Amino acid sequence: MVSTALSHDSPPSAGRGAAERTRSAAPRRRRGRPDREGLAGYAFLSPWILGFLLLTMGPMLASLYLSFTDYNLFTAPEWVGLDNYRALFRDDQWLQSVRVTLVYVTVSVPLKLAGALAVAMLLVRPRRGQGFYRSAFYAPSLLGASVSVALVWRALFSDDAVVDRALSSVGIDTGGWVGNPDYALGLLILLAVWQFGAPMVIFLAGLKQVPRELYEAADVDGAGRLRKFGSITLPMISPVLFFNLLLETVNAFQVFTSSFVVSNGTGGPAGSTLFYTLYLYQQGFTQFRMGYASAMAWMLVLGAGLVAVLLFRLSRAWVYYSGDDGR
Amino acid sequence: MARRARSRTYGLTAVALAAGLVAAGCGGGSGSGNVELRYSWWGNADRAELMQQAIDLFEEQNPGITVTPTFSEYDSYWEKLSTQTAGGGMPDVLQMDFSYLREYADRGVLLDLNEQTGENLDTGDLLENFQTAGEIDGARYAVPIGGNVFALFHDPAAFEEAGAPAPEPGWSWEDYDEAVRAVTGSTGADPYGGSDYTNLIWVFELQLRQEGGQLFTEDGELGFDEQRLAEFWEQGESLREDDQVVPASKAVQALPVSPLGADLAASEFSWDNFLARFAEEAEAEVELSPVPTSDPDRLGQYLKPSLMLSASAGTEYRAEAATLIDFMINDPEVAEIFGGSRGIPATTTQREAAEFSGVDAAIAAYEDELLDDLQEMPPAPPAGAGALEAEFIRISEEVGFDRMTPEAAAAEFSAFAERTLNP
Repeated sequence: MVSTALSHDSPPSAGRGAAERTRSAAPRRRRGRPDREGLAGYAFLSPWILGFLLLTMGPMLASLYLSFTDYNLFTAPEWVGLDNYRALFRDDQWLQSVRVTLVYVTVSVPLKLAGALAVAMLLVRPRRGQGFYRSAFYAPSLLGASVSVALVWRALFSDDAVVDRALSSVGIDTGGWVGNPDYALGLLILLAVWQFGAPMVIFLAGLKQVPRELYEAADVDGAGRLRKFGSITLPMISPVLFFNLLLETVNAFQVFTSSFVVSNGTGGPAGSTLFYTLYLYQQGFTQFRMGYASAMAWMLVLGAGLVAVLLFRLSRAWVYYSGDDGR
Repeated sequence: MARRARSRTYGLTAVALAAGLVAAGCGGGSGSGNVELRYSWWGNADRAELMQQAIDLFEEQNPGITVTPTFSEYDSYWEKLSTQTAGGGMPDVLQMDFSYLREYADRGVLLDLNEQTGENLDTGDLLENFQTAGEIDGARYAVPIGGNVFALFHDPAAFEEAGAPAPEPGWSWEDYDEAVRAVTGSTGADPYGGSDYTNLIWVFELQLRQEGGQLFTEDGELGFDEQRLAEFWEQGESLREDDQVVPASKAVQALPVSPLGADLAASEFSWDNFLARFAEEAEAEVELSPVPTSDPDRLGQYLKPSLMLSASAGTEYRAEAATLIDFMINDPEVAEIFGGSRGIPATTTQREAAEFSGVDAAIAAYEDELLDDLQEMPPAPPAGAGALEAEFIRISEEVGFDRMTPEAAAAEFSAFAERTLNP
């Protein structure tokens, strides 16, 4: 696939916050003695390190170099300095793809998380058939960003298909969504929201961690449901919420398949579903502008990285880690 | 995705192997009696079966040459070819498309076949219209194996029922628009009389040629001005506003099937080899029809080399590659095997030898009738023509959805063309 430099799940800065909090508790080792455990550790890590260097780091550095060149796959790359980056800002289509992707991220991620949390709250209480419901809600995510699902959605939202008819029967006449520039992106956002299984499972685990006695104490004090949710549940699961938010945001920036399938690789109608990665793919693999595509990929790394850093900064205000009340 | 990754691995392995062999000094030169030619083409499984028959025949006639074919669908074919070319693993003989010819030839990766002409390759039998096809600045980078003509398709039953005049040679664009309105009116837009032809760059080319102009000039510039393009997009305005042609939203939804194939329209412009596709997709019986023209003496149509064969500039077996190309364009038995599956054959011998049935027969008859009216083909499109084609589709979509005026659209296209053709 398109080798963007974003193939890792956690943003580059993910290590810092954690390191700050867990002050290294390992005893300082005495000098001079060979650290056998350390060596063994590296030996076991070596396949991964090799893979990382050869398959991730190497290509990333290569694409960084290529982003400063004019490279069409056939002839040797020609150094052009910052030309590719300058050209980006004059490229209406690139600006359009940035717009579309930002809308997608800011709308689909909160909706998806809200849906995932709501369903997790329903499923956390023990009741009969719980296992079945959990699996059922998780199923769409198993199908994941697969081509077949996108095809099904495309069929559902066409003119005179299921959705169109259902809406028409209650007096909402939208016509098909697939061919309508005002609705097509909404259709892809819905598709993303529907696949809330992965964050839901993580929320479930988080909800189970909330100590029961907190709720019991709140009951004694006469707190209502909303109050309990706002004052106990949300703060207690805020680390999980933050984790999900970060993961889903970075993933949403890299969305590709759904638009590629629903719009037949065009990003249409009228550019309304031109995701960033889809435009990158078009530039790199249909127009052979590999240097330009590399510059696009690095802009995406910068953009998504910036958002991740921002989320980390903001998280200090609302994420509560039990045990660090002293801050 | 996995498939592409795998093919790349194969490619790399092949390159590594080849490098190893060369390093070991066992690059089997010609005449060693054991030559392996790699031959790649695009097409489907049906064509693959026929291709294998043709290859078996070739190997029978040329002992000592083995042909290793690979094929894929059109889009992935070009993706694969570009990566192979970049990695130095270009096949010895490859199928080429007119739109991509310059893209590859300009980069010096195709063999000039003139050096083989008269020895291992005979191009004398090519149809008159094809004598120079594949030539750029005196060098021959590709030889056509089949041709197609841009045409109008219509559904006679729908036209007749609506009382619309049937298409006839020399009819005008105004006549056509009227017929479209008549059909849409009588069927209640099911189907529409036609699809919005202003989103097809080929229709624009047809109109330009009818006026004596062209899409691209010999030196790779645009052959028209902004004004003329704006006029072209305006032609569709009134048809769209009155809801007489298939609306953009419906056309987008039907993709990858075209409106005619999806039975949304009763007429449409396309290349004549699409008749096979329409026969399969559409419920209506459609037929090839005369195109509308602004000048009855100039139809603007030409025989386009739809399928061509090229050889890699880096091939070790130039003579054998040329022999294979020669066999594919000249051997009458090959024509018998393929019929019309590769378009209508490009040489006189093969055209006579091929037996057409059904759809192929209809295409051949259409082309034969036009043969005297067909004009010379345009020069090979400049590198970047593919990008312009994609941009044309995108901008016409904007016009079709009423998000851009024809003037603004024409300005944007011209600016894009300027950037693309003169980087």
